[in-house]
Amino acid sequence: MEFVITEHTHCDLISIAGRIDSYSAPKINQALKSLFNDGHHNLVVDMRDVAYISSSGILVFVNAQRQLKRQNHGEIVFAGISDLVYSAFELAGFHQLFEFFDDTISAVGKF
Amino acid sequence: MTKKTFAGNYRNLEEISTYIINQAEQAGFSSKEIYAIQTAVDEACANIIDHAYGGEDLGEIEIEVKKIKNGIRIILEDEGRAFDPDEVPTPDLESPLENRRERGLGIFFIRQLMDKVIFDFSNAHKNTLTLIKYKGG
Repeated sequence: MEFVITEHTHCDLISIAGRIDSYSAPKINQALKSLFNDGHHNLVVDMRDVAYISSSGILVFVNAQRQLKRQNHGEIVFAGISDLVYSAFELAGFHQLFEFFDDTISAVGKF
Repeated sequence: MTKKTFAGNYRNLEEISTYIINQAEQAGFSSKEIYAIQTAVDEACANIIDHAYGGEDLGEIEIEVKKIKNGIRIILEDEGRAFDPDEVPTPDLESPLENRRERGLGIFFIRQLMDKVIFDFSNAHKNTLTLIKYKGG
């Protein structure tokens, strides 16, 4: 798993490639924490190149989103998620916690 | 029938998935079914590392894959602590998303995605998890 963070005017774009599993999820968690600590609370996660997400990966995003909602400050949205990866969010019922966009341009435009 | 043994650590989850995906492809499953099988095995292995061994590199995971009539049977064995899957709480899908508890999501995924899930802790030295998936099931 690799990721690249690009700063935009009103949000940050995190483009992830590969698998988000118990091995890589803590690395994503760390990246999200660093962004929050630096005052970056609006995040677009580009999932176009993510082939797989496990429950531990989903929970990283769920817990981060909960933290943002509790603080009433910022939001995580997804872009370009594949049907199979989306189905894992759906199975857990957590798809309702996030907004999903077809592409990064429309997701970044939300903020 | 094929059998492979992996050291129980998170780094190996990707290699385990590659192995399982290849086996499921050879068995003729659809991409949706292959993703389901991949998820079930990945969650099961993560649970073995987390709960049976209680950490990384404390034991091995043996995976046996067998094509059965119209499906696949995957047997995972470990030598860690036995745990009662019935005591793992089912995720509370009814409570609000903001504060829903999240334990047991891995086992919930496994049970939802596979047609048969059998935990066997009767052997004192090893735990066995049998996962069966049928095509078009």
